[in-house]
Amino acid sequence: MIRAEALTKEFRQHDVKPGLLGGLGALFRREHRLVRAVDGVTFTVPAGAKVAYIGPNGSGKSTTIKMLTGVVTPTSGRCTVGGLEPYRHRRRNARRIGVVFGQRSQLWWDLSVPDALRILQRIYEVPDPVYRRNLALFRELLDLDALGTTRVGELSLGQRMRAEIAASLLHDPAVVFWDEPTIGLDLAFKRAVHELLNRANRELGTTVLLTSHDLNDIAAICDSTVILSGGRVVHEGSLRALLDRAAHRYTIFGHAGTLGTAETIRTVEEALPGVTATAADEGRIRLRYDVARWSSREVLATLLTRFEVTDCYAPEPDLQDVLGELYAGGTPDDARAVRT
Amino acid sequence: MAGSVVRYLAFVGVGFQSVLRYRASFFVSVATTATTTAVVVFLWRAVYQHPSHPAPGGFTLPTITTYLLVAQLLIRLHDNRVDSEFANDIMTGNIAVALARPARYPLMRFCLAVPVIVADLLLVALPVLALFAWLFPLRWPGAADLALFAVAAACSVVLAFAVNLITGMHAIVTTNTWGVTLLKTTVVGLFSGGLVPTDAMPAPLAHAAALLPFRSMIDTPVRLFLGRYDTTADALRLLAHQALWTAGTVLLCALLWRRLVVRIGVLRG
Repeated sequence: MIRAEALTKEFRQHDVKPGLLGGLGALFRREHRLVRAVDGVTFTVPAGAKVAYIGPNGSGKSTTIKMLTGVVTPTSGRCTVGGLEPYRHRRRNARRIGVVFGQRSQLWWDLSVPDALRILQRIYEVPDPVYRRNLALFRELLDLDALGTTRVGELSLGQRMRAEIAASLLHDPAVVFWDEPTIGLDLAFKRAVHELLNRANRELGTTVLLTSHDLNDIAAICDSTVILSGGRVVHEGSLRALLDRAAHRYTIFGHAGTLGTAETIRTVEEALPGVTATAADEGRIRLRYDVARWSSREVLATLLTRFEVTDCYAPEPDLQDVLGELYAGGTPDDARAVRT
Repeated sequence: MAGSVVRYLAFVGVGFQSVLRYRASFFVSVATTATTTAVVVFLWRAVYQHPSHPAPGGFTLPTITTYLLVAQLLIRLHDNRVDSEFANDIMTGNIAVALARPARYPLMRFCLAVPVIVADLLLVALPVLALFAWLFPLRWPGAADLALFAVAAACSVVLAFAVNLITGMHAIVTTNTWGVTLLKTTVVGLFSGGLVPTDAMPAPLAHAAALLPFRSMIDTPVRLFLGRYDTTADALRLLAHQALWTAGTVLLCALLWRRLVVRIGVLRG
């Protein structure tokens, strides 16, 4: 459904030296550098997939999304959405996609949410039954009725985001591009948004490309990931495969023995050299171990032979840790100026 | 086709609802338009009242008053702020949202502006016209001239929109349109006949005005309003001339948009 091939976007950025003198200098001599925001990005999203497009600040996520929505034209390379190059067939592409740019509003400042949705129905030519069905769903899950007829400009961020989410799904888009869709939303509405998108995916086969700094969004919605760092793709694959890349695992256990916490920690660290043990809540101990050095089997076997284990669990590897390790391997953003 | 008409009418609806939210701004607008019109009218009336002068451009006191009044009201209808709004869309990056919609951006902007223009006509221009008609004797047109004027005025609104949009498009290249906008205002003010009637201009300036499209914005409609033409053929020639300039400018606008839209780089998030 979505295909990016060596997609590249360069921007010209003026360099002004800091301070008043620097500013004055810029009057006479303009220096600019070419910044490659997106650097030869290649990935594929099959129809019906839910992909998280993630990366640290300034890694080129939003710029990629802007190329996929036809807003920005790539410097080189190409991308297609449902077979169309969005920047060449912007309007045809726009009819089939749903967009949330978390930082800006696609609703009209002076209109109320019900009015804005009615206008969007006409702009996207949404048939009445579809409109009624979707509106009923949004009213139920996003509690749109609570927004009343307040104009969009007077809504809080979270209230506005609920309306933005509704607006992006109103016309049953084939592909949804959501850039930071849950900023300002409380936990209950975040869940509702996850449910809404998962339902659209399940029932209509909606393809999803999501960027978010909230890892819960990613875990709740996405089944695979494309990870960007320094304008390049550093990982593409399922969320599972991503978690399997974790260099460290955790095991938490409690035991019925008479050993105190400090004593237990010392015993564990002696038995399993290189493993870090820390006190967890309710007298339990948390182990962090290097996957390359210890297998889960070895760790568990040791615990079972040494202690009278009462409970034991091994949480999923921490997505944040995995991402941190991946990002660290990318190119730092400052090194991306390609020409001066 | 029917679908796209519905789509663009939806934008007219948005513009209309926005207009309704700002009732007070029209009262302010009536006051500012009345004041600027008064300044221009009193200034020129002083010139024409002076007994020792031969009347410049062959205007009488009522015709020059009518000329200036209608010109000021047209200027009000031309002031659609699309240049600054477009520039603002570029500077803030909000253009991204507009471009993610299945609509032609320039046409969408026009549809959003139409209700503002209509509201300006009904709530600002007509009341100010009534006020000045009460204060001064004016030269009223016959039915034919009024019809010709209506066509020319509508055409001038489209032309002014295209000129403003082209001005705003500079934002894509320079990301600073204040200077360009100021330049446009001055050039249009001078060569449209809004500040000085072209008939009263020194010959070289009048020649320059004749070669530029801006004359079609003010001079042509007001000339038709006042019946300052020789034959019906002349009047139609004026309209055709204006229509050509309007079509040309709209075309230029469309071409520029196509060339520039690929240069849009939304850096802010």
